[in-house]
Amino acid sequence: MLDAVMSVFNWLIDAGPTVMLPIIMITVGLVVGLPFQKAFKSGLTIGIGFVGIRLILDFLAQNLGPAARGMAERIGVQLDVLDVGWGSIAAVTWASPIIIFIIIAIFITNIIMIISRTTNTLNVDIWNYHHLAIVGIMVHFVTDNVYLGIAASVVMAATTFKIADWSQPLVEDYFGIPGVTLPTVSATSSMVIAWPLNWLLDHIPGIRKIDFQLDDAQKYLGVFGEQSVLGLLMGTAIGLLADYDIASALQLGVQMGAVLVIIPQMTSFFVQGLMPISQQAQKWSQEKFKGRELFIGLDAAVIVGNQNVINTALVLIPLTLGMALFLPGNRMLPFADLAIITFRIALVVALTKGNFFRNIIIGFVVMAAILYGGSYTAPYLTELAAVVGIDVAAIAGGGAILISSFSATSLTHSLLIFLAFIGPLHITMPIMVIVIAAYWYILGNVKPKKEENNTLEEELQN
Amino acid sequence: MKKILVACGNGIATSTVVASKIDDYLKENSFNAKIDKTKLLEVRSSGNDYDLVVTTGTFSGELDVPIINGMSLLTGIGQEATLEEILETLKNM
Repeated sequence: MLDAVMSVFNWLIDAGPTVMLPIIMITVGLVVGLPFQKAFKSGLTIGIGFVGIRLILDFLAQNLGPAARGMAERIGVQLDVLDVGWGSIAAVTWASPIIIFIIIAIFITNIIMIISRTTNTLNVDIWNYHHLAIVGIMVHFVTDNVYLGIAASVVMAATTFKIADWSQPLVEDYFGIPGVTLPTVSATSSMVIAWPLNWLLDHIPGIRKIDFQLDDAQKYLGVFGEQSVLGLLMGTAIGLLADYDIASALQLGVQMGAVLVIIPQMTSFFVQGLMPISQQAQKWSQEKFKGRELFIGLDAAVIVGNQNVINTALVLIPLTLGMALFLPGNRMLPFADLAIITFRIALVVALTKGNFFRNIIIGFVVMAAILYGGSYTAPYLTELAAVVGIDVAAIAGGGAILISSFSATSLTHSLLIFLAFIGPLHITMPIMVIVIAAYWYILGNVKPKKEENNTLEEELQN
Repeated sequence: MKKILVACGNGIATSTVVASKIDDYLKENSFNAKIDKTKLLEVRSSGNDYDLVVTTGTFSGELDVPIINGMSLLTGIGQEATLEEILETLKNM
């Protein structure tokens, strides 16, 4: 029996993600009780999303790769790690052969934590599991140990649900959205840095008092928020720096504008395909936990429209580009994820109550950490992507181009868990446990129950 | 035909969920509308080209067209009321 299962499984892996992904998702759809037609359509839609991402990434590498290399040769900045965007990395994540086990493990982790009252966050937004899953998939890729991979994702999940719990008062008080938490790693990861750093800023005389707000950023910096314009500017600039003539540089500009507009469209096929499965999970869990007051875990997308978040991000976009050029050791060329820095800063803005001075300082540190994390883990990520058929290095002309993003193991939280699981375990595991316990002790004690919503912020202010 | 713009943080995840729920509801009520998705960052520049803007979360800018908060379509709590509000707003134009 097991042999038969394994041989089917191996056949699926050999067939590649374009075949495996739809078949697995159709199966999952049927298991959770979708009618065949709906399950079939879901699975196929996800497969189409994957094919679309692969096409657009080939196009990106083909055109931006040589230009980035030319720029490196000409002006001497070694930015050989292309930021291909979180959506591309999510596609790699969903195409992993072990994704299904990891998704189930994350789901079970959430249910167990709710039953044991270790979390109040009900997170069945299956799509967003990709942030948690990629850590385990990369650990599996490096260590070749499935159990270690699953364990890494479980730790990611548990800690993310806790950060979501702890930052729930921020979401309610600052953004005015009650009853929800935001277990989206691209937003929660920053809190790992922001909580201690904000505490530190509170204790530096002189600095603790600085507070100003910013209103007009969008008027002057608004162009950075438009994917198409941002792509055009970046592409043209890189082309010119690579000594392209004006026409070729503009060509690259329009091509990159296209890439930034098309990637999200492709990514939304994944969301569309996964939606029916997510909704089944939501229905099931809301029935199971009827009567228990739980926070519904949502995508952090619901808070990034806040004006202070947008303003902070618009200032951080050029700042991050500058950092990429001047930070020693950075290899990442920020590109596709520039426009969604908003996620990385959203909860920080709530923590500082819109204190622009602090947002920029904390944002600066958060983004620097992301650039370093992205640079460091790019070789792993690039190889992993090649395994599922996204072989960017080969397409870009063999010039050792790597890929990364502002998500996955570039995020500090994910990076730390990844490092803990690929290091010498007898040393890294105790450290990980101690660090998690420390956060849990400090933040958990500050805000144990929902009724004491405001104490966390007050505590951090004092 | 009326045009609706659904906007969320990145124009992908939550807006896809909200857009398809609105689409289903309008179809059930035989109301014809075209629904586009976008990022909140781009609402200011494109929002006025539509008849109605639905956002997930808080959008603090101002537009010349009505804006409806679509949060309830994500949490499922108060979903019906929001869908009705959307339909009524479109009908009364």
